[in-house]
Amino acid sequence: MLEYWLGVATLTGIYMIAVLGVSILTGFTGLFSVGHAGFMAIGAYTSALLTKTYGIPIVLGVISAMTAALFVGLLIGYPTLKLKGDYFVIATLGIGQATKLIIENLPDITGGARGLTGIPSGSSFTTVLIIVVVVIWILSNFLRSKQGRNCVAVREDELAAASIGTKVASYKLLAMGISCALCGLSGALLAHYMQYLSPSMFSIVKSDELVMTVILGGTGSLTGSIIASLILIPLPEVLRFGAIQEWRMVFYGLLVVLVIIFKPSGLMGNKEFSIAGMKRLFKNIGLKTRHGRVK
Amino acid sequence: MFFQQVINGLSVGGIYALMAVGYSLIYSLLNFTNFAHSITVTIGAFATFYFLAQVFENIYAGIVFAIIVAGILAMLIQILGYSVLLKKNAQRIYLLITGLGISTMCDNLVIIAFTSRFRVYPANFSTKAINVLGATVGTIDLIILAVSALALIVVQLFIKKSRAGLAIRGASYSLETASIMGINTQKLILIVFLIAGALAGLAGALLGAKYTAYPALGTNMANKAFISSVVGGLGSITGAVIGALILGIGEVLISGYLSSSMRDIFSYTLLVIILFAKPSGLMGVDTGERA
Amino acid sequence: MQNKEAIEAILELKHVSKNFGGITASDDICISVPRGHIYGIIGPNGAGKTTLFNMITGVYDTTGGEIYFKGKKINGLPTAVIAKLGIARTFQNIRLFGSLSVYDNILTACQKNITYSLLDSLFRTPKCRKQEKVMAEYCEELLEAVGLIEYRDQQADNLPYGLQRRLEIARAMATTPQLILLDEPAAGMNEEESIALTVFVQSIRDKYGITIVIIDHHMDVIMALCDHITVLNFGQLLANGSPDEIQTNPDVIEAYLGVDDEC
Repeated sequence: MLEYWLGVATLTGIYMIAVLGVSILTGFTGLFSVGHAGFMAIGAYTSALLTKTYGIPIVLGVISAMTAALFVGLLIGYPTLKLKGDYFVIATLGIGQATKLIIENLPDITGGARGLTGIPSGSSFTTVLIIVVVVIWILSNFLRSKQGRNCVAVREDELAAASIGTKVASYKLLAMGISCALCGLSGALLAHYMQYLSPSMFSIVKSDELVMTVILGGTGSLTGSIIASLILIPLPEVLRFGAIQEWRMVFYGLLVVLVIIFKPSGLMGNKEFSIAGMKRLFKNIGLKTRHGRVK
Repeated sequence: MFFQQVINGLSVGGIYALMAVGYSLIYSLLNFTNFAHSITVTIGAFATFYFLAQVFENIYAGIVFAIIVAGILAMLIQILGYSVLLKKNAQRIYLLITGLGISTMCDNLVIIAFTSRFRVYPANFSTKAINVLGATVGTIDLIILAVSALALIVVQLFIKKSRAGLAIRGASYSLETASIMGINTQKLILIVFLIAGALAGLAGALLGAKYTAYPALGTNMANKAFISSVVGGLGSITGAVIGALILGIGEVLISGYLSSSMRDIFSYTLLVIILFAKPSGLMGVDTGERA
Repeated sequence: MQNKEAIEAILELKHVSKNFGGITASDDICISVPRGHIYGIIGPNGAGKTTLFNMITGVYDTTGGEIYFKGKKINGLPTAVIAKLGIARTFQNIRLFGSLSVYDNILTACQKNITYSLLDSLFRTPKCRKQEKVMAEYCEELLEAVGLIEYRDQQADNLPYGLQRRLEIARAMATTPQLILLDEPAAGMNEEESIALTVFVQSIRDKYGITIVIIDHHMDVIMALCDHITVLNFGQLLANGSPDEIQTNPDVIEAYLGVDDEC
């Protein structure tokens, strides 16, 4: 029994890495993707095939996975992120579907729709936990830096961001790169945990779930994404009977619509949990009561 | 053989065009991708199926029913989902997310209500093959082509000739200006959703006739409409039709001469090529930022 | 004041024109803004004032003519590059980073002196920490100086209107520019607020030596502040001169002052 829940915890950690990636892209930079499961697939199959077929060490496999996902992400981001309009969104839709189709249609290499077995095992609970902690640390550093602030500025107002010297397209591309690398990492860890991969694990529904988890947690809050991951990712394991999976998705969909309409900033708003933040909160309450005009 | 394939391609392309035109209409007016578009397609197919199975076994009556149901559904989506956000001028990303939420919710409700099974219409167009210019062509493809063309012409006439159509064209330059000039933009948006929904319902009904009705139909096919629109140029109605026909004929030829599993790979490859070579599409115009 | 010839022009517009699909928004405009001046641009609605700002900051490309900043041709450059060269601006319909705090609005704009790399920021190296600390202190000082320190942690969107305008100007100042373009900073303000604004704008120039170009409808603000004024009408340059000259210029009186003073 303990082993089972340890497994659930490991999977939660693995998917959380992908959610955090999408959080940087969607929550902090304001870009929408409906294909990030595709980048997980790219990472998963890259690492699985390299370690299985060529016997390279898992660490190198995982690094290659991140690089491959990053490369493909930048490749589709570069031409589309410069454009006004929904070109980027459609491109992510395309890459999500194309990745799945390509995997399905190369059965000799990827095992096709039937799946790929015999992947070396490597993602233990401890490994995943350490990686999750490191990822959270790095991302919170990023968000407290000039680069992170510029991403948020792009989300808030592109023209205003440009007017203070932010190269809008470059920071969009940076956010895309980070999100893709993290999805690649997540996919690779998944491969070495499950030791089995099939294209159906990376369907468009998975991409949608990543985005919805970010939205429900709160756009612009890492803490929110983490909490939402902790609640929503293990949920399908807890509810495992009959049509309940469909009802779960109905509920997610409804919740997302309600959140966007009534509280667009999601669960955590754009707040992060921190000691200094709590102090400021109390100070703020005091301030609001005596806020007036400046002479 | 080739002629037959082209007719088949045109009928597929015609259905894609129905969906792509609706998508482009909303995009040109409101500047966002309506991700809930797919559900109106699915509902179109299922509305036809249930009408045929339980009310009256006539495919044309079934199609009309589908158009009405899908049109109403599209308006409901606008009223219950998007309108609040549009009124408070929310960021575009919120509209995209709402669309995603609505489509996730509805797709799964459809699975719960109708199960994931593939439904064959109890009544359908004639499946006979007829001889046209020495080639055998499926009647069903000819009818689908004719119905799609007719629907597109009606919509085109509406946009070009009617007062509401004129207002839509004006508002697609600037919704704000249209509103200042006294045009009821809320009503206009609703009309556009109605047209888009009706076209999607028709597309769904025809797709159900050509293939079968199943819950993922809308999502699979709406993706093709998105690709068509990007190939043609986002927001351009003419571009959407051209893109849809290119995609339809290309897909049919690829599955006819290469293999059917290459069909979807072709579509997505075309998308990637266009995004690299001419991202604004064949008919698209780059719009600059307005300060 | 000083001898006009001795002052170098920080911004020069030479025969600048802009067409929007056949409609001329700006026609052959020549303006020379001396360093250290507060320079006013006035004109009725649709005179092409904001268009001029959009061309200077690279939001629009010019159809004809050249724009020079400190002697360097800048038209055709992207907005972000022009901002880095030292031109900051505000917008007619305030564009703050609405869901961020006042402090974060300012901090985001402070990036010119940050030299640390992406890797430094990912691992928060000592180099990153040190520069961040300097920036943080600078931001606190700036907030203090512009009188926004007591609103430090408030969300920008929740500020009263006048303070939002002030914050937008402060954000422009945080980019340490040599030139600030203010697009109708007094729009929607009452008399009391616009007097406060006049004092504030004056102090920016006097304390930091930043050159200011200001568009506004409030004649009292413009006349009180500006060393030099350009009047535009229907995209064309109508008059140029000191406030006194403008106030007595018959063309201006006919086209603008007499007709819609306080619109």
